[in-house]
Amino acid sequence: MSTNHIVENLKREIENFSAQAKVEKVGKVVELFDGIAKVSGLSDIKSSEMVLFPNGSTGVALNLEEDMVGVIIFGDFANIKEGDEVKATGRILEIPVSDAILGRVVNAIGIPIDGKGDMKAAKTYPIEKVAPGVVTRLSVDQPVATGIKVIDAIIPIGRGQRELIIGDRQTGKTAIAVDTILNQKGQNMICVYVSIGQKDSKLRKIEARLEEGGAMDYTVIVSAGASEAASLAYIAPYTGVSIAEYFMDQGKDVLIIYDDLSKHAVAYREISLLLRRPPGREAYPGDVFYLHSRLLERACRRNEQYGGGSITALPIIETQAGDISAYIPTNVISITDGQIFLETDLFYKGIRPAVNVGFSVSRVGSSAQIKAMKKVAGTLKLDLAQFRELEAFSQFGSDLDDATKRQLERGKRAVEVLKQPQYSPMKTEHQVVVLYALTKGYMDEVPMDKIKAFESGLVEYTERNAKVFFREVTEKKMWTDKGEEELKKAIEDFKKNFS
Amino acid sequence: MAAISNNNIALAVYEMLKGKSAKEQAEAVPKVVEFLNRKRLLSKSKDILTRLEKILNQAEGKLEVRTYSADKLSESHKKELAQALSKRYGGREMIFKEQIDERLLGGVRIEINDEVIDLSIRNKIKKLKEHLTKRQ
Repeated sequence: MSTNHIVENLKREIENFSAQAKVEKVGKVVELFDGIAKVSGLSDIKSSEMVLFPNGSTGVALNLEEDMVGVIIFGDFANIKEGDEVKATGRILEIPVSDAILGRVVNAIGIPIDGKGDMKAAKTYPIEKVAPGVVTRLSVDQPVATGIKVIDAIIPIGRGQRELIIGDRQTGKTAIAVDTILNQKGQNMICVYVSIGQKDSKLRKIEARLEEGGAMDYTVIVSAGASEAASLAYIAPYTGVSIAEYFMDQGKDVLIIYDDLSKHAVAYREISLLLRRPPGREAYPGDVFYLHSRLLERACRRNEQYGGGSITALPIIETQAGDISAYIPTNVISITDGQIFLETDLFYKGIRPAVNVGFSVSRVGSSAQIKAMKKVAGTLKLDLAQFRELEAFSQFGSDLDDATKRQLERGKRAVEVLKQPQYSPMKTEHQVVVLYALTKGYMDEVPMDKIKAFESGLVEYTERNAKVFFREVTEKKMWTDKGEEELKKAIEDFKKNFS
Repeated sequence: MAAISNNNIALAVYEMLKGKSAKEQAEAVPKVVEFLNRKRLLSKSKDILTRLEKILNQAEGKLEVRTYSADKLSESHKKELAQALSKRYGGREMIFKEQIDERLLGGVRIEINDEVIDLSIRNKIKKLKEHLTKRQ
């Protein structure tokens, strides 16, 4: 760019500039501590209205008192001084959104932090919005394929559902979420991953993994790291769901993951206590239920008349020593449409994903399952339930009748088949074949240590030799007698040659 | 948080002095000071006084207008200002409080309660800077 050009540009910009005199509502910082400012003045300010500090930081008015306003500050508050002038903006907190946000990592106020340059915003969306009403909704009947056998078969998730992932630290909660995102490739789904209070190193790892799996093309990451202020952790999930709503308003299906809401509740507790709101159970404020219910209520499936699209939410809650009856876990369990319960014991027994099938439920997902999967999953659930009962009982004696032994063997194999390593999602039709072979007893004679090899070999073999079956399951979502015959024959042939 | 704010005290003082003759008021004032002393509120007296002033202005329909300018405002300027402001604030009597602030470079900055109309050169330069450096 030549000097002349710069001068011309400057001239044009200066001509465009008009300094309109405006009446501004201002206040003064009276108190400042821990990311909270008490501001005097600012009459007529709205609740959760954005305010501007002289150093460029934004804040949000949370507490409106008689002659003082409690403001939480986003970002740097180190160089805000007492007596600084605070300007009201008249706008409720909003974030910039656009299609260009896909593949980006943004912070809690929608600013990119991945070093890939600025993002041109098409629109702004308010971060707090009332959830879609009853008339605009549709019941859940489209599946979200997670690619994880135990979830797709036993605890299925539908588009528009809210399914909680709950468990102790180090039980693979995030792994389930990341696997689910990876499996959405080509499933017509946009994913939003909201990381709240997580280590930046962990987030970097997840981002790298998603990039490697080609999942960043349809994924947005919203990050409020462990080193950032509580105020950012507090708004991050709302920012995430606003981005999700932007895509839903285009009629798209969106999957949003909140990792995790226990840290979100802790951040809100910190803010509330600093604002001197009265503490309740476990020192959480009284409205901590509303905090999560208004967030998760924004997950929905909208009918065509109102633009279609859906938001499926997978909130994550970390429990302490398996205690699901603590305050936040019980709250979120009661808000969501079911939970996937992960256990440390199972994890160390080598059952991974460490899903406790007995405690996990999906209240609405079964209507979203395809018919073929429903058929095989029904028998599988029964097999597993009987196995659990017999397992405890069988430890006392060795003399068991044949029927019991068979039942036990079947159960052991079912548990083995449901094991699945990380980053290896499985197609739904492959899952159907494997579970079909299991529930029809084709695996009963296969030795335990060869189940995995049998499984992968079977998938490969039937894909070549049971094409009708596969076509029926993919297209019509259910097999016919013809397809079933073909599959049975293929399984038997494979078994004969398997050693 | 204290149950009784400075605003409450100012209001109480105003209520007490309201409608009393000059003589009675003169008698009451030392009692107020003594009360503040007894309740250890003298350190807050500055804030209480500004609040009392606001309450008085409000009650008497007066409007306090603070102006900041680089140079002293001329009488004609003030008259113009009062005229322009009375449109917005509905013809209330205005009390001008002037302050000189050379950092404004020029123009005038008007503060009325918590509303600010900043017509200073400094503000204009700041806005121009923001306009020229904003992200596209």
